[in-house]
Amino acid sequence: MDVPAKLPDPVPSPILRHSPSSGSAMSRSLRSVVDMPSVTFAADMRSDSTRGAESTASSFESFRRAGSRPVPGVARLPTRRSASERAGSQRDLRDEDARFVYINDAARTNAPPARFPDNSVRTTKYSVLTFIPRNLYEQFHRVAYVYFLILAALNQVPQLGVFSPVASVLPLAFVLGVTAVKDAYEDWRRHRSDKNENNRTASVMVDGVFRPKPWSDIHVGELVRVVANETLPCDMVLVSTSDPTGVAYVQTINLDGESNLKTRYAKQETMTTPTEALAGLIKCEKPNRNIYGFLATVDLDGRRAVSLGTSNIMLRGCELKNTAWAIGVAVYTGRDTKVMLNNSGAPSKRSRLETHTNRETIVLAIVLALLCTLVSLLAGIWLSDHSDELGVIPYFRKKDFSDPNEVENYKWYGTGAQVAFTFMMAVIQFQVMIPIALFISMELVRVGQAYFMVQDKHMFDEKRQARFQCRALNINEDLGQIKYVFSDKTGTLTENRMEFRCASVHGGDFSETDGGEADGHAVTEDGVVLRPKTAVKTDPKLMAMLKDGTGAKADAARDFFLTLVTCNTIVPIIVDDTEDPAAARRLVEYQGESPDEQALVYAAAAYGYTLVERTSGHIIIDVFGTRQRFDVLGLHEFDSDRKRMSVIIGCPDKTVKLFVKGADNSMFGVIDKTMNPDVVRATEKHLHAYSSLGLRTLVIGMRELSQEEFQEWQMAYEKASTALLGRGGLLRGVAANIERNLRLLGASGIEDKLQDGVPEAIEKLRQAGIKVWVLTGDKQETAISIGFSCKLLTREMTQIVINSNSRDSCRKSLDDAISMVNKLRSLSTDSQARVPLALVIDGNSLVYIFDTDHEDKLFEVAIACDVVLCCRVAPLQKAGIVDLIKKRTSDMTLAIGDGANDVSMIQMADVGIGISGQEGRQAVMASDFAMGQFRFLVPLLLVHGHWNYQRMGYMILYNFYRNATFVFVLFWYVLHTGFTLTTAITEWSSVLYSVIYTAVPTIVVAILDKDLGRRTLLKYPQLYGAGQREESYNLRLFIFFMIDSIWQSLAVFFIPYLAYRKSTIDSASLGDLWTLAVVILVNIHLAMDVIRWNWITHAAIWGSIVATLICVMVIDSIPILPGFWAIYKVMGTGLFWALLLAVIVVGMVPHFVAKAIREHFLPNDIQIAREMEKSQDSHDVTHPEVQMNTMARA
Amino acid sequence: MPKYSKFTQQELPACKPILTPKWVVSVFFLVGIIFVPVGVVSLLAARDVVEIVDRYDDACVPANMTDNKLAYIQNPNISKDCTRTLTITEDMKQPIFVYYQLDNFYQNHRRYVKSRNDGQLRDAAKANQTSACEPEKTTADGKPIVPCGLIAWSLFNDTYSFTRGNENLTVDKKDISWKSDREHKFGKNVYPSNFQNGLLKGGGTLDPAIPLSEQEDLIVWMRTAALPTFRKLYGRIYVDLKKNDTITVRLSNNYNTYNFGGKKKLVLSTATWLGGKNDFLGFAYVIVGGLCFFLAFAFTLLYFIKPRKLGDHNYLSWNRHPAGR
Repeated sequence: MDVPAKLPDPVPSPILRHSPSSGSAMSRSLRSVVDMPSVTFAADMRSDSTRGAESTASSFESFRRAGSRPVPGVARLPTRRSASERAGSQRDLRDEDARFVYINDAARTNAPPARFPDNSVRTTKYSVLTFIPRNLYEQFHRVAYVYFLILAALNQVPQLGVFSPVASVLPLAFVLGVTAVKDAYEDWRRHRSDKNENNRTASVMVDGVFRPKPWSDIHVGELVRVVANETLPCDMVLVSTSDPTGVAYVQTINLDGESNLKTRYAKQETMTTPTEALAGLIKCEKPNRNIYGFLATVDLDGRRAVSLGTSNIMLRGCELKNTAWAIGVAVYTGRDTKVMLNNSGAPSKRSRLETHTNRETIVLAIVLALLCTLVSLLAGIWLSDHSDELGVIPYFRKKDFSDPNEVENYKWYGTGAQVAFTFMMAVIQFQVMIPIALFISMELVRVGQAYFMVQDKHMFDEKRQARFQCRALNINEDLGQIKYVFSDKTGTLTENRMEFRCASVHGGDFSETDGGEADGHAVTEDGVVLRPKTAVKTDPKLMAMLKDGTGAKADAARDFFLTLVTCNTIVPIIVDDTEDPAAARRLVEYQGESPDEQALVYAAAAYGYTLVERTSGHIIIDVFGTRQRFDVLGLHEFDSDRKRMSVIIGCPDKTVKLFVKGADNSMFGVIDKTMNPDVVRATEKHLHAYSSLGLRTLVIGMRELSQEEFQEWQMAYEKASTALLGRGGLLRGVAANIERNLRLLGASGIEDKLQDGVPEAIEKLRQAGIKVWVLTGDKQETAISIGFSCKLLTREMTQIVINSNSRDSCRKSLDDAISMVNKLRSLSTDSQARVPLALVIDGNSLVYIFDTDHEDKLFEVAIACDVVLCCRVAPLQKAGIVDLIKKRTSDMTLAIGDGANDVSMIQMADVGIGISGQEGRQAVMASDFAMGQFRFLVPLLLVHGHWNYQRMGYMILYNFYRNATFVFVLFWYVLHTGFTLTTAITEWSSVLYSVIYTAVPTIVVAILDKDLGRRTLLKYPQLYGAGQREESYNLRLFIFFMIDSIWQSLAVFFIPYLAYRKSTIDSASLGDLWTLAVVILVNIHLAMDVIRWNWITHAAIWGSIVATLICVMVIDSIPILPGFWAIYKVMGTGLFWALLLAVIVVGMVPHFVAKAIREHFLPNDIQIAREMEKSQDSHDVTHPEVQMNTMARA
Repeated sequence: MPKYSKFTQQELPACKPILTPKWVVSVFFLVGIIFVPVGVVSLLAARDVVEIVDRYDDACVPANMTDNKLAYIQNPNISKDCTRTLTITEDMKQPIFVYYQLDNFYQNHRRYVKSRNDGQLRDAAKANQTSACEPEKTTADGKPIVPCGLIAWSLFNDTYSFTRGNENLTVDKKDISWKSDREHKFGKNVYPSNFQNGLLKGGGTLDPAIPLSEQEDLIVWMRTAALPTFRKLYGRIYVDLKKNDTITVRLSNNYNTYNFGGKKKLVLSTATWLGGKNDFLGFAYVIVGGLCFFLAFAFTLLYFIKPRKLGDHNYLSWNRHPAGR
């Protein structure tokens, strides 16, 4: 763990890189350190993983350990490193694994057998030609559709023809058609955006000159020139930039979601050659999805091969920033680019409800098989009973006498075959037992539900103008059954915008920023007013002291801010004021890896210490209007062992000072406490207060270095930084040696501002019975403090902390935790007040736990805890934790995050939600739903999730029920036709029943019905439990629905049957009566269960009955159909209406009784809440002022 | 920016009915109030219907042939005439409907119902359209049979005539079929041809000079019955019959039901708005109505015994078990 391994993608050694351009060895190394991106202590885990600095090797290594452990089920993770890559650090890229790119020679590069794709992208699934076959192919992945297709095909066999050929294909064609239209529309939209993307132009070297060319025409090997703020068209190796040292800044927000700038370097070797003359061979690895890895060598003609790494490649989708231009060689184009390889589109998940429907579908299939077997057996018995008569009886007439010489059997294949045919015909006749329209209904309903989720103003992010996005359209209803929420912290719970809030300087607390001006301190430079981009509120007392104060305290304050402004790696960038571009005003934007440092520098600027310029050797600071130059003599980067960072500064007054900032526990170890015990005590008190507020705290210290000390340090530093082996360790030693006996200056409190409403949202989720787990890359202290500030942790909770450095200690802490949990559990049985538990565990321990198969123990502890906080976790560990729960429970999990590091868990969880925040698109691309704010989770789950689940559950049950009812009606009739699969209901009504007659109301109800209002659902989050307990869809409900269905079919069939027995009724008339009766009955059944009647519901339900009547009338108006005019005839008789009424009443009585009993004597929560809502509404109308009081009380 | 409307926010004005005890009891009460009287009226109406049923298929077989009915019916040389005497049990007001009833005759059998061609019946030009008519499609020499198919082939051909004493009761055979069938389904210029010329005669013959639209017995027969026991209208008698009147029926027992155990019955019946003599509907209504009254009382009682305040938040599960589940 401590051995700094050779990194897979080493940043070119800074010393070598800068050797030609700098003077002394001393300044050389200093400069390189400053130039290099570094990891500061507040940076997230993911920054650790992307940086190559050796000082972070240990933490990087720990990440890799975690990352390299295969987590079952996680197959496509962008951060996963392939075996070949890891091997690449040890040996060269083998030729057979490589791609050869000849610089500026696209023809040779693409010569066979290479044939690389061009740069056009295609995200569409279909083309005009392939649409029909491919779409059908995909649709027939649904087993049910294959089933219906087979039945339609069987029906075409003359012996089995139950329906006419057209009628038999109609329902399937209808559902396939509707789906195809939907798919075509979606694909057309993708096609349009592809076209826009492919037609963008880039400047490409053609015959020695850069010419504009559409993106789609760029080929591997071509040189592409990109100017500032342009998007990169393909993955390319940087060869030269406008910067003489070959630096280019890119923003990778579209790729991995990180908003800060990343530095990329062109190799000196390529920089020095004029671009037109550039030629050579790049040997790079085959395209892969890893956006953090690149392995290649470049062999310029006549020189030795130089290795290339991640820092030399710029990826498609990134934007060039702060660099006038950059030229690169296209190495991966089009679908080979890393962004496209990572763009796997929305993951396809199946909802829990849909999975459950399989069970019921199987039950129905068994019932269907039973019905068919029964019919065919009875038919066999009937046939053998009548075997002597079959030849001549008028209604069978086995024999064909039309040729008097040879009497043949007509349509007769023997009793056995006849039975088999009957069976198959029965399957065809009763096929809708498996509801054909269910799947398309579900899809339409989800589209409708998605529409309402997207339109919901409560989930619209005003700040970013971002709507809710539904990316996956097949798991809407899962939102109503979530039990576990796994949340990222930074950017998800917090805004990822650090804000300087408190300063403790020399024992004095300066947190009174209310009176201070929120305007950043402006400085003037060459007549141009510079203003920091972000204003920070200041404390007037501290401000006054800085300006005019004297004495130790004021000096300490000045040094305090000097530390803030110098001890960092922030680069100031001057940008135009977008609000007021005409004025001679510019904004200073501080760019850096760590948002904490940005906040500190902005704060310093507000207090009059404005960082104006930073080069590798010096810093220019505007102190209350006077520009001062500070020489940077040395810099010790942050590392996770020391947990602090320091700079050695040569001040304008020729003194040399060491400024240090760091985490409190590490800083108090190196502070000379004897120097100012009062200040130390006061600062400690303040620190405690700050961290209780959830602030991220830093302690600031300094020391003036004597000449001897400095020289001693300089020599050690020099030696360490040029060492070939163990450089990181040596540098750490040097830093630890100088960072001692510090004078405490004070402490800062930075707020990572929580997003609006996060504590309330977490509280609501918790009330709803959802367990919220926070998984963060942050360090433990920060994680805990944020846990407190977002009310995840409370003071009453007992915290179980597991952070172990070895396997054994890890096992021990787990065992301790288990015994503690058991102890508390045994206590809690006595008293009602249960002690809430919180588990805090860090990434290292997780590595050990997952390595040594203590997962079960962890699971045991974790589920006993109310809250789980995992800190310092790597992306794959996040997925591992989600998997831990998914594997061991049947509970639904939801993961929410905003960054690339959350992708793995978003894909692992049952429902993945991306926050479309500052961190870009990666999480959103992998997610099923995307939204702007964490707090939208509450309306999403508690309101929409609840509705979606309840609606979808009912719709599925209803679909089963209505089709079964119809099939049973057919079945009873078949028993009265000599078991010959005749229907009195016309075949057109049979096939239209499930797709037309009864489909619309259930879809409309499933989109629009609301069991409870938004207000009630939010007021009583516990109502969410209905979904978690699967109350809207379960086997019991299914059985109830089926019993209802059998009863109603009996009523529909036998009431008219008994009334018309021994009468002149013809089959068409009776069939029409049955058609209408069953349609009205199932619609009334639906109507009885509708909770909210608006005009659309009315229109759909009653309209559907009217539409059925019209359809029946139209069918009966066709003279060549046997049933011509039957409906008009039968509707003219009183008996028809009397029977219809009787059927409806008799059919509905059991349902009505059951409903009345259930709702009154066995009410569930939803029922009670409905009643409360109802009385609330009547209150609203009659006593508007009283209503206010009740609201307040509640 | 999403468009805000009541629709997109799912806040359309809506009615939210709740099954309160009041509603439940009133619904049952209302159904009871409607159903019991309707049921009583239907029962009375059904009781008013006078129906005389006479099964004659066995009785009309000569005593010496009861063991071999099939031989009797298939022998064209034996006279099929038969006389039955009916006694009127109640006064019957005209019109009196004369039906024949067939039992156990599957007119809804798949092989049977499909064996027809409606196009041919309607249009003289489509006489050759005999698809689906097997096995009564064409004659031995390939000429199309009009009307083709098993249904037409098996046309019922028993005939009845009625006398009361010496008075001849004419049976009006006009208008026994549906007007819509005569006008649109059976062509005015379609004449029977090659009908019943095959080896096996299934039933009645048709006069080739009369167009199908006027062959009312055929039209009635071709309206296939829904159930295996069915009646078909034979004609109407526009004479009032008195109680204890004796009616002599002279019938020709031509139709062969002996080969499948079918029964033939002659039915004389008056009619009401509800159709024939079937008190099922009345009983059903009375029983359902009664049940609804019972349910109304039962629910009233239940609500009284075990009242629950509507919308009382104390009933919410988390308020009932504060410790949580």
